[in-house]
Amino acid sequence: MTLHREVLEPPMPGFDMRKEYGHHQSVAIRAGGLIYISGLLPINPETGEREHGTVTSETKRIFENLKILLEANGSSLDRIVQIHAMIYDRIEYDVLNRMYRNYVPHMPPARTVWSVQLEAGFKVQLDVVAAA
Amino acid sequence: MKLTREIIQPKNPKLNVSKNFNLPHSPGVKVGDFIFLSGMVSIDPETGERALGTVASETRQILTNMSHMLESAGSSLANIVKVNVFLYNMLEFENMNAVYREFFPSAPPARTTCGVQLTGGLKIEIECVALA
Repeated sequence: MTLHREVLEPPMPGFDMRKEYGHHQSVAIRAGGLIYISGLLPINPETGEREHGTVTSETKRIFENLKILLEANGSSLDRIVQIHAMIYDRIEYDVLNRMYRNYVPHMPPARTVWSVQLEAGFKVQLDVVAAA
Repeated sequence: MKLTREIIQPKNPKLNVSKNFNLPHSPGVKVGDFIFLSGMVSIDPETGERALGTVASETRQILTNMSHMLESAGSSLANIVKVNVFLYNMLEFENMNAVYREFFPSAPPARTTCGVQLTGGLKIEIECVALA
């Protein structure tokens, strides 16, 4: 194997879904100049507490957490390559977009939106690949 | 630099689901140092037929087959960077998670899980990106 696979540490305790909720996953893995991030949910970055809300508030919390995680690892929101945005109901598509566009205003990443069932009654989850 | 693109095949032909079921995808594609596997469902490696069962039994079969698939391409489960898990019902999350953890004893990959509708009565589908 030529490339190195590196586990990224949680930048704040709340990011550790493995410790907080027993999810058997690393926060993110860096390999080949890319950062693959585990599905991000609206959790409090300090306490790990779930912060259920509206699509607007959950999207905002997730992007704020994503910003912390990327910047702690030398990347940033404008280096995101691809996002799978998952919402609980397609009817909220425009609500997602209103908050989403604030965080990626210029040259936004490639994106697919899926309407899926999410864990623990959440309304939004973001699955992100970024350039390191 | 132009990266090379190569199709991955399982050593066991019974696990070549796309070929056996005449589906328009490849088992996996290797590009540069990355391997992208197609979504895998529970298949009996002796008969090549779908092995319907519980979320636990299907998870075990899929990850066993995924190990074979990656090893056929010179990689392994330990080289996985990112996993996407699709469950027929998110209430079964822990039934997946408990079996899943046996296959990744340390430094587990980044992972995203969501609930979707699957075909053929299957309960779970798993895809991954790994280093070659």
